[in-house]
Amino acid sequence: MDVVLPRLPQAGGLIAGAVLTTPRRPPPTAGLPGRRVVVHGVRHEPARLAAYGRVCGFALRDEVPATWLHVLSFPLQTYLMAERDFPFRLAGLVHVSNVIEQYRPVRVTEPVDIATAATGLAPHRRGVVFDLVGEVRVGPELVWRGTSTYLARGASLAVEAPEVPPTERPAPVPPTARWRLPADLGRRYAAVSGDINPIHLSAVTARPFGFRRPIVHGMWTYARVLSSLDGRLPHAFRADMRFLKPIPLPATVSFGEIPGFHVAVVNADQQPYLTGSVAAL
Amino acid sequence: MSDRTAVIVGGNRTPFAKIGGPYAHASSRDLLIAAIDGLVARFGLAGETVGEVAAGAVLRHTRDFNLTREAVLGSALAPETPAVDLAQACATGFETVTYVANKIRAGQVDVGIAGGVDSASDAPMAANEGLRRALLRLNAARTLQDRLLALTALRPGHVVPEAPVVREPRTGLSMGEHQAVTTKAWRITREAQDELAAASHHNLAATWASGFFDDLVTAYLGLATDGLLRADTSTQKLAKLPPVFGDGPEATMTAGNSTALTDGAAVVLVAEEGYARRRNWPVLARIVDVEVAAVDFVSGAEGLLMAPAYAVPKLLDRQGLGLGDLTYVEIHEAFAATVLSILAAWSDDEFCRTRLGREGAYGTVDRDRLNVTGSSLATGHPFAATGARIAATLAKLLHRSGPGSRGLLSICAAGGQGVAAVLEGM
Repeated sequence: MDVVLPRLPQAGGLIAGAVLTTPRRPPPTAGLPGRRVVVHGVRHEPARLAAYGRVCGFALRDEVPATWLHVLSFPLQTYLMAERDFPFRLAGLVHVSNVIEQYRPVRVTEPVDIATAATGLAPHRRGVVFDLVGEVRVGPELVWRGTSTYLARGASLAVEAPEVPPTERPAPVPPTARWRLPADLGRRYAAVSGDINPIHLSAVTARPFGFRRPIVHGMWTYARVLSSLDGRLPHAFRADMRFLKPIPLPATVSFGEIPGFHVAVVNADQQPYLTGSVAAL
Repeated sequence: MSDRTAVIVGGNRTPFAKIGGPYAHASSRDLLIAAIDGLVARFGLAGETVGEVAAGAVLRHTRDFNLTREAVLGSALAPETPAVDLAQACATGFETVTYVANKIRAGQVDVGIAGGVDSASDAPMAANEGLRRALLRLNAARTLQDRLLALTALRPGHVVPEAPVVREPRTGLSMGEHQAVTTKAWRITREAQDELAAASHHNLAATWASGFFDDLVTAYLGLATDGLLRADTSTQKLAKLPPVFGDGPEATMTAGNSTALTDGAAVVLVAEEGYARRRNWPVLARIVDVEVAAVDFVSGAEGLLMAPAYAVPKLLDRQGLGLGDLTYVEIHEAFAATVLSILAAWSDDEFCRTRLGREGAYGTVDRDRLNVTGSSLATGHPFAATGARIAATLAKLLHRSGPGSRGLLSICAAGGQGVAAVLEGM
């Protein structure tokens, strides 16, 4: 079932509402809502796109960054999660990984149709995971798909989490660049992305959620990784990033890549905040 | 003389846009990347190492200390491509062509990209000079006492940043004010200026309509043609505009016959002829010779923008050419009156005798050969991009005219300088 919205909702208001209220929600065992939220004819605002590029390190090109389409689809994610029948509270969800498939670059002049749905509910050793899948079309052509995987800590589906075979540790990626993340980076990214989740804004607003300092948005780090590879990425690609631990602000972190677009963002002790890879499609 | 010939293979630019328009949020680096990537796409250079990329900008942020290299790193060229920033005010966009052509002739590179960019919208705001000095002192202070002392130098007025102005540091006059003096001295009429401005718009509109720019321009941020172009302008419409430069009833220079502040970038692909032919690239025109002249405008001995009047005769003499040997003449329209003043000077016996050391008047330029595809009045003038725009356009015109046809380009620049060049169709 599709719910067609006339325009992109304001993510900020939805987040504020979701953080400040605690409506009764169905249990996870009730499953995810089956509807898809759709908005047609979304245009790229040049001023906002340019501001996003400045915060994330992208040049202003005729082709929009792949992560920009995530920013456009984010209000629909928020809309789905703020609905009463969504089984998890928005505040406290952990963004654990994100896969973006760009089938072709989207031009700044192309209006896009965006659809988002929740799927992939599964037990996890630390709770329950699910995916919010966004699809972007230009006319009938699917040009982009983004899969945001969230973890609801402590939630249960009343079934045992499957044994996850220990994944092969990726080869260490030697750092090639140092990023200095200022204390206000969360607020700056919030301003250009609309994601005003309080854990990103300040120490005061992050503390009730268990963070002594604000943490940067995972999708900022993701965007910064892609902007580091800007100009070198293939036109069609699949980017797969795992957010291993939050980056408290301010921070100085290292970015590294090895051939084949295997990337990592690590701290001074080489402990990864993010690992991932990008491959041509 | 080297037996290597430097040729223009093609060019690419963004459409030019009025300040605060579609490129209001694009930086100089963004614009230069867009121009380079369009060229890269057109000539299949993605992932390739080019001999060198030379470009520049007149309005520069301190963060742009390595503007061209940063643009190359953001482009589809191989990261091993070297780059250099050059600056010669409004002549930058052709001085870069000269630089690359000379490297090609010297056998140092086989192919290079030359061009320039300017964004009037994203112009840097400099820290107030007083604030800058105080902060430098604070930064150098070793002791707490020194630091406090440095802080006492701060004044409330220091927080007002300084916007860039196109003003000559030694005279305090803007370019328009300088040109107004020259305009008056050469008795250039309002009608003649408006006529030249209207012709620029009409020529540019016709050239766009003909498809001439299809392989010279790549759309950027939704803009597909030059934003300042007014195809429907006329001398009647232009005559209604109030003067903006000059004083009193004799003021003739308006916003319509002066170039507007513009955002844009342009690049040309320059290669050694044999290299270009081996790659099956079009060989449009060879870069024959270049002359840069400078005049003493500070004492008032000569007009700020009159250097091309000196550079051109010297250049053409050296090549054994006269104005009549040229199929096309491109004189950058900083102001309509700049072009007309230069032409008036060449027709003036006394000027040519006393200033150019000739026996009499230098000659005239047939209007049918002057700025035939429109120039900066209609296209706009992102300072450092203009030279590359003109070079690519002239090269393509000469290629159409056939081998041996000759074209002249000249560009006036701040600081009383001017560059002139001869290209020959291939």
